[in-house]
Amino acid sequence: MFSIRNLALYLIAMFIILTLNFLLPRMMPGDPLMAIYGEEALVQMTPALKAELVERFALDQPWWQQFAAYLSTLFTGDLGYSYYYNAPALEVILGRLPWTLLLVGTTLIISTFGGIILGIESGWRRSSLQDKSLLTGLMVLGGFPDFFLGILLLIGFGVTWAIFPLAGAITPYSGFTGAALVLDVLHHLFLPVTALILCHVGASYLLTRNTMVTVLKEPYMLTARAKGLSNLVMRYRHAGRNALLPVITRTGIQLGRMITGVLFVEIVFAYPGLGYLTYEALLARDYPVLQGVLLIVAVFVLIANFLVDLSYSKIDPRIRYAH
Amino acid sequence: MHINLREEVKQHNSAKFGIAILLLMLTIALFAPLLASYSPNMQTPFAFEPPSFSHWLGTNHVGQDILSQLLYGARTSLLVGFSVALLATILSATIGASTALIGGLYDRITMRIVDAFIIIPIIVIIILVAAYVKPSLWVLILLLSLLGWQGGARIIRAQALSLKEMGHISAAQSFGASNVYLTFRHILPDLGPILLVEFIYGIRRAIFMEAGLAFLGIADPTTISWGMMMREALDFCYLDVWQWWLLPPGIALSLTILSVTFIGHTLEGALDPRLESEAIA
Amino acid sequence: MLKLENLKVSYAWEEILNGIDLEVKDGESLAIIGESGAGKTTLALSLMRLVNGNVKGKIFFNGLELLSLSEEAMRGLRGNQIALAPQNANNTLNPVYTILDQVAEPVLEHQSKNRREAREQASGLLSDLGIPKSRFSAYPHQLSGGEQQRVLIAMALANQPKLLILDEPVSSLDAPARAEVIELLKAISQDRSLIVMTHDISTAAKLADNIAIIYSGRIVELGLMGEVLSRPRHPYTRGLIRSYPDMSTGKDLQGIKGVMNRSVSGCPFHPRCTQAIEICREKIPPLMLIQGRYIACHRGGIIPLLSTKNLTKHFGSLLAVDSVNITIEGAETLALVGESGSGKTTLAKLIMGLAKPTEGEVYLEDSRVNNRGKDFYHQVQMIFQNPGESLSHRLSALELVREPLDIQEIGTKEERNSKARQVLREVELPETEAFLSKYPHQLSGGEMQRVAIARALVLDPRLLIADEPTAFLDSSLQAKILKLLLNLQEQRGLSLLFITHDIAVARKISDRIAVMKDGRIVEQGPAKSIITTPVHAYARKLSQAASSLSFEVKEP
Repeated sequence: MFSIRNLALYLIAMFIILTLNFLLPRMMPGDPLMAIYGEEALVQMTPALKAELVERFALDQPWWQQFAAYLSTLFTGDLGYSYYYNAPALEVILGRLPWTLLLVGTTLIISTFGGIILGIESGWRRSSLQDKSLLTGLMVLGGFPDFFLGILLLIGFGVTWAIFPLAGAITPYSGFTGAALVLDVLHHLFLPVTALILCHVGASYLLTRNTMVTVLKEPYMLTARAKGLSNLVMRYRHAGRNALLPVITRTGIQLGRMITGVLFVEIVFAYPGLGYLTYEALLARDYPVLQGVLLIVAVFVLIANFLVDLSYSKIDPRIRYAH
Repeated sequence: MHINLREEVKQHNSAKFGIAILLLMLTIALFAPLLASYSPNMQTPFAFEPPSFSHWLGTNHVGQDILSQLLYGARTSLLVGFSVALLATILSATIGASTALIGGLYDRITMRIVDAFIIIPIIVIIILVAAYVKPSLWVLILLLSLLGWQGGARIIRAQALSLKEMGHISAAQSFGASNVYLTFRHILPDLGPILLVEFIYGIRRAIFMEAGLAFLGIADPTTISWGMMMREALDFCYLDVWQWWLLPPGIALSLTILSVTFIGHTLEGALDPRLESEAIA
Repeated sequence: MLKLENLKVSYAWEEILNGIDLEVKDGESLAIIGESGAGKTTLALSLMRLVNGNVKGKIFFNGLELLSLSEEAMRGLRGNQIALAPQNANNTLNPVYTILDQVAEPVLEHQSKNRREAREQASGLLSDLGIPKSRFSAYPHQLSGGEQQRVLIAMALANQPKLLILDEPVSSLDAPARAEVIELLKAISQDRSLIVMTHDISTAAKLADNIAIIYSGRIVELGLMGEVLSRPRHPYTRGLIRSYPDMSTGKDLQGIKGVMNRSVSGCPFHPRCTQAIEICREKIPPLMLIQGRYIACHRGGIIPLLSTKNLTKHFGSLLAVDSVNITIEGAETLALVGESGSGKTTLAKLIMGLAKPTEGEVYLEDSRVNNRGKDFYHQVQMIFQNPGESLSHRLSALELVREPLDIQEIGTKEERNSKARQVLREVELPETEAFLSKYPHQLSGGEMQRVAIARALVLDPRLLIADEPTAFLDSSLQAKILKLLLNLQEQRGLSLLFITHDIAVARKISDRIAVMKDGRIVEQGPAKSIITTPVHAYARKLSQAASSLSFEVKEP
């Protein structure tokens, strides 16, 4: 259900980000080229390169021409050059993106799925001991910042009982392939994902549970019971299916936010995703990469939101066939 | 929408727990200078000391007393938490209520901008800004507030819209009440509960962000923060010092966030009668 | 096949069903009628053990005692041998599944068919109920109310239940859909036992052969549909039928005074009952078989207030009243219709004791009336044709109304005055000093007749004999007086013996009509029957000659 309204929204969001990216370096005192590329980078540049860059970015021209120049460089896919990694910024960023996606994807799937199941069971047995303890337990978990949980897991399972690796996504220089590679990836993935899941399962759980409580009061639950259906069928097929709607919606929204939400955990585990990249770039004052990350992340978030909008109608037939 | 806050709190143990912890943290924050035996910034030659009588939680890598840092850290978290939440809530309330009341083009344009901001990932923006500008504590507070009010504005606008349709508003309008009068006498008081919930959750978000940013090393290095303590401790995690250096700030942070969460959850339950008679404990 | 013994259902705060005894045999159909809140839905749900409250008593289904079954066993029965089509509200059907899937579900659950077979069977059911194939994969919100109701019924029928329970099957439908669904249900009820819960009497009449009336958690009357509807024996049933608009009633709608209140001791209906006595306040009446009908009433149902047996009067050789047998029940209007000279007034006088009968007896509540003393006149009063004559021109309005109290020496002067004022209020006359001191010649015709009625009411009688009370009034006044009398009947439970020559008026005011000619009652029965299907020739003649406003419009 693509709507013009949403498109306008995304365009405005992009515009704000682009403007921010544009304005920040140019508002800094001193040489704008230095602000764009960073001090260290500038030192390494030849005067000829500097002159060319000044021209490309129209840095000696009025504002609007600079903005136009900025936009046109973006369209050519040129996000600048990272002196730190010695490669075009876009390349660096895209290289790290898959690891973040792996982290986000795994976390979202498991925490949403787990949260839904726990939420359905909890909502069904509302106010029972099981429900109350789950509720309390998951809320307590949710109170821990994800990086703290990550650190605890790291120290516990990584340092003290060295079951899991301390950093990275794969064992460097190992030359694994095939199944061994997959296992290695999973091995490295385990702790960070666990930390994230523990943090995020609470939200899906709570939402599902609360929706279940409302759904269970609906008339069609009595109808289902009158048909002599088993508890399992009623719980999942009837109540659960209806309780899904808000959670799935929320998960869709989360997809976009999680990209940056995993940032802290990546840093704790030195997991080579976008978050860790941001951190490194920050330390190194590698401005092109930083700006590039913001841009790519924003684009990604917008795409994710767009996909969610599209899939909205699939889930709820009332929206699909609204008279 | 008649809500008795006292009743809600009385009924839910979790809320009582939350308030107790929060009060504890507030007390620590207020009286930190009195409670701490040392200045948190004072470096001594005794680094990595395990807990002892003179240093209850030992010392860090530059010989600073960890307990004193812990106590002062409370100040930062709570100061940032409350200030950001306050500013953000004021902004949310103003913008949310005004767009609902005034409507028209102002409403449409503002809401488009608000929606756009909700989509944008805040943390990356802050990191980017921090790369260029050295954020002092107050700049951080300002930044977090400016980037944090949008979500609340949506909620408050929705609530204000439904309040606007209520009978007592039209009645007042028929007596010739101005928009200002309506806002302050009718709408804002009814918005009170929602604003309170927004405020509470705002505190939670802000405390988390502050700790996270300090953990990243972005925040002002002269300010003592639990996040900063954890980051420094992490650097030395291979030494066996983490139990008394890493855990205390982490637990303190978690407890504070948890207490605010419990309070917020109870208040939310009070607002939504369908979830009535819910008890975490 | 289904037997309920002393079923009691209560929630934490309230007792909803207070001892229900019912029986439904194989192939029988029963309608349960009651006002909202009486407990119909609770009863329907408790038959399936779907209530969340405290359930006591016994429910026997084909020999199985349902309340002692395990939940698993009960679940096996639900949607299988006992099925419920619930009331259709918003979201009674699950919004996220197609109707075909939802109808196939009980088949899948209880029969060992695979998915395809179940859906086939569901298709068949939906088609039988008139849903076109193209709608099978529709979602509930895409269907109209009538279609949704059919789906609910199809779901209930999926496994050929032996007992089908319907909760308000047509109340959410408009008239055309309603008629169709009722036809459908009639066809379905052929092969099974049916219980229908509804507040709508006409639906019940079309769907079931037996009827039970439920009031405040108890069954108050139970019997065959036709019999109960044409001659209700319980005051509540009669009140219910009287308040029901339908194309064939003539008598204006009357309500039942008061509202249902659950926290009542003794008979649950007694605060609203016009014939309640001491015991009604104290003990709950059991449902008992009385003269072929099950009634829960300490007085055995509607009491016969006054009856005559072979009442005869000769004036010399003239036979004025010839062997008249009539009965007037509590809170009922019997219209005595006949031309002038038929003996109507004489009969009234005989009953009042203003003339002595040659033969025959008068009974007041089953005890023979020999001498009419104060007690009798306390209970039976009369108003006459010509108010100008029946009111003494020497007394003021207040004195006139107070006179019966003065004669019977009831209460103090102040009490009598205030009682007089009270009845004057009841007949909607002003209480001003100016009015009270007016003399009859200063009053209009309508006011005089009202004063006469007030005077008759001041002793709180149970039967009012009105001899052509509106004969001297024009039609607008007549309408008001008639309404007043009906109101008094509703509020006080007043019985009326209404004497008139005009069968059209009788139609508007009476429950039963007795047609009198030449001193004899030629036909008597429910007003509806007498007017629409009169048997006796004379009755027919009267009916045809009656005033009618319908006439042909001549084309220009």
